[in-house]
Amino acid sequence: MGTIHAPSGVDYSEARQHELRKTRIVMVDGDLTANSETTEGGSSARVFNKGYWGFASTPAMDESGARKVAKKAVENANIMCRFGDQPKLVMPSESHVGEYGFNGRPPLGQKETIELLENLQALCKVKYPRLKSTSFMLMQEGHEKRIATSNGSDGLSTTHRAAFYIFFSAEDKNGRPVRLAETFSGRGSLADLQLSVDLLEPKMDELHRHLQAKCNAVAPRGGEQTVIISPALAGMLAHEAMGHPCEADSVLGGAATANLVGKPVASELVTMVDLAHSYNGEELMVPVYIDDEGTEAKDVTLIEDGILKSFMTNRESAAKLGIAASGNARAYTFNDEPLIRMRNTAILPGTSKLEDMIAGIEDGYYLMHTGNGQADSTTEFMFGIQLGYEIKNGKLGNAITDTTVSGTAINMLKTVDAVSDDMYWECNGYCGKKQPMVVSLGGPALRAQIHLGGE
Amino acid sequence: MRSELFAQAQQALDEMLGAGFAHAQVSVSVSEQEELNVMHNEPSLLRSTEDHELSLTGIIDSRRATMALTDLNTSALKSAVAELFERAGNAPRDDANVVSTGEKGHYEQGPLEGDMDLLALKVEELLEFRAQQTPLMQIEECAATHRVVRECVLTSGGTELSCVIGCYDLSVFGAATDGEKTSSFNYTGGVANDLSGAHASELFGIGNMMVETEKQIETQTIPGNFVGDIILAPTAIMDMLGWLLNQVLDHSLISDLSIYRDCVGTEIANERLTVQSRFDGPGHAPYSADACTTPALTLVQNGRLNYLLPSLYGSLKTGIKHTPSSSGWLIEPGETTRAELIAGMNRGALVNRLSMGAPGPNGDFSGVIKNSFLIEDGLQGHALSETMIAGNMASMLNDIVGVSEEHLDLGGQDFPWIRIANLNFS
Repeated sequence: MGTIHAPSGVDYSEARQHELRKTRIVMVDGDLTANSETTEGGSSARVFNKGYWGFASTPAMDESGARKVAKKAVENANIMCRFGDQPKLVMPSESHVGEYGFNGRPPLGQKETIELLENLQALCKVKYPRLKSTSFMLMQEGHEKRIATSNGSDGLSTTHRAAFYIFFSAEDKNGRPVRLAETFSGRGSLADLQLSVDLLEPKMDELHRHLQAKCNAVAPRGGEQTVIISPALAGMLAHEAMGHPCEADSVLGGAATANLVGKPVASELVTMVDLAHSYNGEELMVPVYIDDEGTEAKDVTLIEDGILKSFMTNRESAAKLGIAASGNARAYTFNDEPLIRMRNTAILPGTSKLEDMIAGIEDGYYLMHTGNGQADSTTEFMFGIQLGYEIKNGKLGNAITDTTVSGTAINMLKTVDAVSDDMYWECNGYCGKKQPMVVSLGGPALRAQIHLGGE
Repeated sequence: MRSELFAQAQQALDEMLGAGFAHAQVSVSVSEQEELNVMHNEPSLLRSTEDHELSLTGIIDSRRATMALTDLNTSALKSAVAELFERAGNAPRDDANVVSTGEKGHYEQGPLEGDMDLLALKVEELLEFRAQQTPLMQIEECAATHRVVRECVLTSGGTELSCVIGCYDLSVFGAATDGEKTSSFNYTGGVANDLSGAHASELFGIGNMMVETEKQIETQTIPGNFVGDIILAPTAIMDMLGWLLNQVLDHSLISDLSIYRDCVGTEIANERLTVQSRFDGPGHAPYSADACTTPALTLVQNGRLNYLLPSLYGSLKTGIKHTPSSSGWLIEPGETTRAELIAGMNRGALVNRLSMGAPGPNGDFSGVIKNSFLIEDGLQGHALSETMIAGNMASMLNDIVGVSEEHLDLGGQDFPWIRIANLNFS
């Protein structure tokens, strides 16, 4: 990607070149049902003038394409002036210059990838003959963006994410289908996940054990329950329950968090952050050093020792809220305008041991795997539970059937009475908000009171 | 433009067959979009986008691979075909890999030129409605959009499909606030060939959604656990219908997880349920991703399942009769008014949105009901918070006890209100 220039003669502008390459391979019971590669690239420009935004994009990545979208973006901002004068808004003017590439392992060849899936399928057939269906899905995507802004930012940023999914299905005691999935994800390409039969066999054994348990699952009791939220779930909780309501566009739209800065919203054991690129000196799964508005990305502490501290912003919302721009403006494809998006959102680890936390529950549940989740402006959240176990007298009991947990985060997080010293990160799936987005989620295990769906 | 797209598609098809593919499918599409955005109750952004897509599916020795790219240049095409050839060669053999043959059709629908004055008018109408009728509603995002897609699809089996489809979208997302109190977020929107026939607040239930959202600032929980009824609003019905569709589409059929695998011709739902296709709804051309025309069909007729919907690949894989399908569905309205549905209920809820994980293949689910209202002794009461329902999707289809005569047309979907019995509330 070469040098690009932001449109001139307006209050603020940015130009972006963006290429996205994706691979998706799906094998169902030995049949390759998807084997696709997608490459999309183009140029975009966005301008802010007289209080209005104009955006334009085209699939061309050459100079003429850049000129065309710059002209169109300015025209679009001018067309918006038909809606009347807007109060002047002075956006943060900080700029950042830097190039942030990624040096991963050499990409895995497609032949090797398919051979791995075939070997896994053959192993499953021998080791787990009672499975009704076995599916594998591999996804990888790489973004490369060149960004320039009218206030002097100039950056190259990259995002590379790979994810591998295993789905096992069996029949329960009543002959009904039961499904369970395990995922592996990380920064880089599929090669960086270092997948192999040797690595995956014990993981598949474990998944198979859980599925057998789920085939004999009991329905959980509906209502308020004492639960252990596994580290894999705590990241989803962080992202859905408090992450979305702490995005500044949600705050400006009336989210319940708007009036809670400086007030307790969680147990003092809870500290939650949206990390820009690193944690404890190590680069995270979705490192963002410069965002798509050319702002240097900085960590945002959302909750510190239970107190709500701040919000994630772009330049416009930072100006409206009178706080700093945090570098959370991100666009998914060249056709998309940057929106406020999370990066690596996590509840930070505590000091408790997971085994002790389980042992301390007389009657409750251990919630292990989730499918998806959703947030709300009220901080009410839900996420689906695909794998969980009863806890009886401090020990794990029967598996439970698929269920959903919900609560209002600013109430539920106050019930947290133990935070484990584990830390688990993942970056599979997408966050949805007008555009999809790659994010990572992290967390330790939490013990709390939560509303469980059931009979 | 149509002949230009055809020429590009033909060039790509020739390139693929020349490279040695035994069978190929090619599509070339060009799309444009103008999107007028409102953010936080103010007009904010005008977004213009252009997109190109060249999609190539190649089969050699019964091995298949697919590529898609935005670059339509000849050099990019040649390079993509070479890479695709290698990728297909690495795939396992599968005799179910075929392309469609002999499908023909050209489809035109909707406005091909966007009317910026109309988009601006609809935004002004919405903002005026908000200011005058629902001042507590905070429109976090609203988009008034015109888009047009031109596409040509060819296969080595002689299929030639093309379309020129224009349409308008209008959608609103936000929450209502009063001081420090806030409602759950709410949204609605739809697709149409024309937005000029009605005030923006009367399109796609937008005004009603904004009025109801203001009523959801004050909420209460339902005390205790009980078994009751729900009325599923059109905005929530896709959760139930989506599960049913998953059961009759490729993945569930190929992996033999569909509970309806052997149910064609049998009753899978209450006789009040009839589900028809709307494959030619606004914004859509009636052909499938694997280049087959999609004639109209009635999926469920008075509770009886008429079809399974495998693709060409899925059909050859499973031996199930091929029935091409696309997106867009309509549920036939009933003969009961919505008021009568409510009046007949002892205890339950009017559910406008279900927030939940995807139900498992056996249909079990639990979820939080959002933007929803208590119904008690035949009357609609207060808005609800922190209320969950649990049940089974297959059972819900059989437990339908009423379908309203009123319906909400969102363009791609047209659904009534449906009353369903026997849900567990907690």
